[in-house]
Amino acid sequence: MEEKICQYVENVLAPKLQGDGGWIEFVSFQEGILTVIFRGECSKCLILHRCTEWIEEEIRRDLKLDVQLCAIRKKPYFQDV
Amino acid sequence: MAHIKVVRRSMRPEEWTDLRFGWLKRHIYSSKWEIENLEIRDARQRAEMQFDYYSDGYRPLKKGDMYFTPDGTAFLRADVNIPKEMQGRELWFSLKTAAEICVKVNGKYIGGVDPNRERMLLSPYIDDKETLHFEMMGYNRSKPDDERNPESLSVRGCRQIFEGAYICTVNHAVQDLVWDFELLLDIAKSELFNEDYRAFLNKELNNAMNLIDFDSEELAGISEAKRYVDEVIYANDNYKGSGDVALIAHSHLDIAYYWRRIHSVQKNLRTVLIQLRLMDQYPDFKYTHTQPYVYETLEKYYPDVFDELKQKVAKGQFEPVGAMYVEPDCNIPSAESLIRQCLYGQLTYKRMFGKTVNNAWLPDVFGNSWILPQILRKSGVDYFVSNKMSTWNDTNRFPHNNFIWRGIDGSEVYACVPPTHFITWNMPSQIQENWEAYIDKDDGGQTMNMFGYGDGGSGCTEEMIELMHRFDKLSVMPKCEHIGGSEFLERNLKNNKNLATWDGELYLEMHRGTFTTKSELKRTNRRLEFKLRTAEMLSLMRKENNTEKTTTLYKKLLVNQFHDILPGSHIHPVYEDAMADYEEIEKELDAIIATGESYFNTLNFTRDALTFIEDENGTSERYGKRGFFTVPDIPALSCGQAKSDSFSGEWIKTGEETETPYYIIRFHPDGSFASLYDKELGREWVDGDFNKLKIYTDTPGNYDAWDILPNYKDKQINLEIQKPLSFVSADNECAVFETVLKTEKTTWKMMIRLFRRSRGIEVENIVDWHEKHKLAKAEFSCGVLSRKVLCDTSAGYIERETHRNTSWQQARFECCHHKWCDISETGGGVAIINDGKYGAGFDKNIISLSLLRATIRPDVISDMGKHNFCYMIVPHGGDAVSAKINMLAFQYNVPLVKADVKWDFPTFEPLYLQAAKKSENGDFTVIRLSEQDGARGRIQLDRRVKILNMLEEELYETDVIEYKPFEIITIGM
Repeated sequence: MEEKICQYVENVLAPKLQGDGGWIEFVSFQEGILTVIFRGECSKCLILHRCTEWIEEEIRRDLKLDVQLCAIRKKPYFQDV
Repeated sequence: MAHIKVVRRSMRPEEWTDLRFGWLKRHIYSSKWEIENLEIRDARQRAEMQFDYYSDGYRPLKKGDMYFTPDGTAFLRADVNIPKEMQGRELWFSLKTAAEICVKVNGKYIGGVDPNRERMLLSPYIDDKETLHFEMMGYNRSKPDDERNPESLSVRGCRQIFEGAYICTVNHAVQDLVWDFELLLDIAKSELFNEDYRAFLNKELNNAMNLIDFDSEELAGISEAKRYVDEVIYANDNYKGSGDVALIAHSHLDIAYYWRRIHSVQKNLRTVLIQLRLMDQYPDFKYTHTQPYVYETLEKYYPDVFDELKQKVAKGQFEPVGAMYVEPDCNIPSAESLIRQCLYGQLTYKRMFGKTVNNAWLPDVFGNSWILPQILRKSGVDYFVSNKMSTWNDTNRFPHNNFIWRGIDGSEVYACVPPTHFITWNMPSQIQENWEAYIDKDDGGQTMNMFGYGDGGSGCTEEMIELMHRFDKLSVMPKCEHIGGSEFLERNLKNNKNLATWDGELYLEMHRGTFTTKSELKRTNRRLEFKLRTAEMLSLMRKENNTEKTTTLYKKLLVNQFHDILPGSHIHPVYEDAMADYEEIEKELDAIIATGESYFNTLNFTRDALTFIEDENGTSERYGKRGFFTVPDIPALSCGQAKSDSFSGEWIKTGEETETPYYIIRFHPDGSFASLYDKELGREWVDGDFNKLKIYTDTPGNYDAWDILPNYKDKQINLEIQKPLSFVSADNECAVFETVLKTEKTTWKMMIRLFRRSRGIEVENIVDWHEKHKLAKAEFSCGVLSRKVLCDTSAGYIERETHRNTSWQQARFECCHHKWCDISETGGGVAIINDGKYGAGFDKNIISLSLLRATIRPDVISDMGKHNFCYMIVPHGGDAVSAKINMLAFQYNVPLVKADVKWDFPTFEPLYLQAAKKSENGDFTVIRLSEQDGARGRIQLDRRVKILNMLEEELYETDVIEYKPFEIITIGM
């Protein structure tokens, strides 16, 4: 399942976020918790929670799986917000 | 006694006015009726006009719902029956959103809403008694413009909260007063205006607000406040402003940037649509729109809107500007590419509107090559507009706004570098700032002030025009006049004898990293520019009619030369799109170029420099392909053989010193040279680090992909030697040495090739690059005393100083060059020839060739991964011209092709044959020649030819070509 979710993040979700200057990377999926890294514009997004909720919905719809997203933001050095 | 800062906590009178202004704005709509039956279908755009849908059908969309998705397009629809009580009134549609929505009602495009405008007029375009079928298409825009609108957090971002869509009526009395306050508060808050007048405004705006009863149901006192503003504030002409400002409506549209090119189709539709509607509403409104490419997409996909646009062009309200097909980068594209930008751009305008334009409109490009004035003039362009040098230079203030720009060959165009940004919203403070920044107040006529939202298009708003209509009521404002782009240029610049002349490149003192970022784009662009040349030339000689195909391919390449594509300043999907386009172009060109039995020299001079020939049985390897090096001798534009030489003797000695027929070399283990002694010229070329790979920390801040800062050398990272330089192999022409360097994350293999029959020393780099915020450079400290270098521009060379005497030289620590750069003294010098690198620094006797960057914004993985590129070190006698470095660089970049063809025209030596093609109308042959050595002369031809301009129009006939230094000549045969 971890591989399946990894593929989904990288092949289905990532291109969409990249289209808005964002970036998502799969880290792990353990005990229902999907950990991902956000970079680019996502890393400093003030309303990222809206996207993480959407990602959980997308996974529920496409993979029939309830996951809880754990977001790690990797901010560029020059951003404080 | 401790100092205690006094902080005012009570409300200041100005804040009280602001607060009430906010209350006033809430009354703009006199009635709002919510459309409650909206439905939505989410999708994502896959290609132009093609979408992947997230669901089979639509779902209801209610207030408070989340809508839009990352990079998503949403389709919204509703059948609306206007309530009886609203029928017959002036109706508006309102939807507050950060998305870019085009609205169609009953099959007709009515207008658009986006982050810059929440409402659009419906009434003139609908019958409010019939059912209105709303169809909307919205592209979600999370970046970057929405950050300018901090009020809209709820409706911002990839996922937005739907706040409802409404049919509304507007209380024009309130709206008018809101615009008055908008205008006057801007002046009151701006330190650019007279302090006493601002005090007057603060007092009187408060008095005007006092006339409104905000507690009353009907908001009593609006007309009294309006009268007060007219009779007290506007009537006060005690305070005199100065200045003469031309207000030019424009919207900057990046074809790709934080969005893919496929989205620019709808961005353009929305922009055009909104401007057309403003023209309906305000007959005096004129708007300038660039880029024939986007007109083509409108014509193709939205012909009805394009027809409306044509009508407005005929009326003189909608003004096509900008001769170039797109707004290209003007540093990296070759001369021929820039000519094609003009040719295809002008032909497109001529086909669409029956006329060409006389200006180049490039507000956002990152500096402009010195070769441009000639190209523009010969493409029917007399005027040049570009903003960046005035507003973005980081060191020197560019000394002119309205001036004459003199090009490398002496051609002159009238130039306007407006004093302020190309995106403004027509606020008095912005206009005043423009006037104050305007340098040519006494001699330049009016100053150009562009207004309109942009980057992703959008353009002007109702508010901008309404404010503009009020400017002449304000004595404190500069004189303002709303005119068209051409009108401004012709009125103020044409025949203006007072204009100063700028003779040189228009170097932008910023964005110096764009010569290097996304190196693969640059290298492929270079290769395809030459392949297009080859394909057109071979088609001509084979009498194959490929003009339509090659024009289509050229246009695709030109689109990818857009100033946020080729420079590398874009998100990752834009890079993927460009590389996919390049692959497609190359495949098609290879099919046209095809193959043959013998080798053909497409250059119009003898091919006599070392060349690599691909051959499975070859004993060398270059770019991962087997082959052999040889020195052919194939005359200009002729067929010949390129065989491996039969030499079998010893020609190289290796050991502590390496000796070739040309050099005695001592290497350092990292591939740099401790000594490069020239046996023939009897001199040492090395004076310090030479061919030394250096990696610097490169942290320019927010403009990550764009900028390199002057202090980039402050922090250099260590390169470990994983494998010290060692001799690998030698055949009868070439000896290879190899070293492997590494950082914590990157492996850098450097292969150094020495040759039996060439002074050139080639360095091939095979890199697995995984850095972050790093800049890799190859540095060459040359044993040469000179205060200048020569840099190839693709159509002649430019001299650049290597000292740091003044701030102008200090600012040019990183420059753009094309195939080669050269530092020489009397008797000899060193040239560095590349096959796709454009950035270089020059400091005293040091050339530093920029190789790779590792930026993370806007593309998190920019330049990461495998790279393979070469450059050639060429020590030589004489100077760059006498050493024929330019010819060597052509041979280095233009491979021999296999083709059994015959050239039926003169060779035109010593000019460079830049292009040979069928004319765009298919009637004759077009030959483009370029003088590249700074020489003057004449070529007697054996036949009469037509001298053409670059639009392929005949100027006159002759049998003698007289050429001047750096002249580009187009002839028809």
